[in-house]
Amino acid sequence: MIRRAWLVALRETRADRRHPDGIVAGITFMAALVLLESVVVGPQVARDATVAAALYWIALLFAAMVTAARSFERELEDDALEAVIALPGGRDALYAGKLVALAGTLAVVAAVGGVLQIGLLDLDVPLAGHLVAAAALGVLGLPAVVVLDVALTLRLRARAALVPILALPVLMPQLIAATNASAAALAGEGPTSLAWSALLLAMAVVYGAIGLTIVPTAIE
Amino acid sequence: MTTTAFPRVLPLRIRPALALAAVASALIATAMALVWAPTDAVQGDVQRIMYVHVPSAWTAYLAFLVVFVASVGWLWSRRPVFDAVAVASAEIGVLFTGLALVSGSLWAKPTWGVWWTWEPRLLTTAVMFVMYVGYLLLRSLSHDVARRATRAAVVGIVAVVNVPIVHLSVTWMNALHQLPTVLRPGGPALDDRMLATLLLGVAAFTLVYAWLLATRAALERARQDRWLALG
Repeated sequence: MIRRAWLVALRETRADRRHPDGIVAGITFMAALVLLESVVVGPQVARDATVAAALYWIALLFAAMVTAARSFERELEDDALEAVIALPGGRDALYAGKLVALAGTLAVVAAVGGVLQIGLLDLDVPLAGHLVAAAALGVLGLPAVVVLDVALTLRLRARAALVPILALPVLMPQLIAATNASAAALAGEGPTSLAWSALLLAMAVVYGAIGLTIVPTAIE
Repeated sequence: MTTTAFPRVLPLRIRPALALAAVASALIATAMALVWAPTDAVQGDVQRIMYVHVPSAWTAYLAFLVVFVASVGWLWSRRPVFDAVAVASAEIGVLFTGLALVSGSLWAKPTWGVWWTWEPRLLTTAVMFVMYVGYLLLRSLSHDVARRATRAAVVGIVAVVNVPIVHLSVTWMNALHQLPTVLRPGGPALDDRMLATLLLGVAAFTLVYAWLLATRAALERARQDRWLALG
């Protein structure tokens, strides 16, 4: 299964390189949200460590949904999904491969969005290492839930509305932990940031394990 | 979809008896809550909302646990009865979660001074409510019986995580909501008559739940049969 999952992840990465519409959509969407949110609350409020972190993670979460949806749409357009699913253990491999590929794509989106937000809002980053750790661990937890929900709603016309409805409540603890970890890093509170980051790691493991356990029945 | 001769949710003869027991216990519990139970020394009569609020929350927990068990049952066996029980229980669970939220809000205004506050128990309950509304929404958007059941079962399994989170949120975080008064170490911290009334209320709500579940699940089984007959 690991080999097949790796092949799916490689294929996803290759497809992203040839047609980077998913990653471009994710980055554009994230940038637009960061800009919009900052303008709506005002630059002074948006510079507050907690507000900046919350805006960042909300934007990244929505960007993750856009990117994951695009990835599956490509499969549907090319009729490639059925071929992968038809393989023995295909559903497991498809889910795990998408998970790895989306985590990689989101890492790029998160990095670009983070640099953009720090630059636009002129944020002080006293603990850059802690911030990177929080971002990396936060990104790890998102794909498990987002890919599962996109897979569940894959053949439904109301997918665009359903994915956030299903994913947001499940990801609320993740969003809180990621926001707190990042805000603590921006405020120079190292131990607090690390404690929240450890929680993010635990959540990524739990979400991934749940996803891998039930996903074979979810992908059609 | 698999068709099986799995037994109906509850034999037709039992359901009227269940309805009778539910109505009788609900009437007795109402009388006890309004007349027999003593008035709270601090909160006054407004505390009597507890006799609706706590049983509603209990019933919601029970309903979502049944959704979980039925969802596992569907994925395990593909027997349509499990999907019928899951959807019936989810609908009832959403109804009672809504009732718990509304009764809690009515109770909060005179005691806390606000209809709503950003407090762990309230927030986690609202999230649980939204998740199961999402569950019902997901079901409503598909007409393929088997696919719909499978999708819903996955959400039904994931969403049950909310139940312990909601219940334990008041002990994990600093909360305005009071700590558990019945299910707590050292026994219930409640006047005997209040406790008896509350327990009868919980029993009455559980019977109402069981009756609604049996009736709604039977309706769903009839729908499934009709869809299968239509092909």
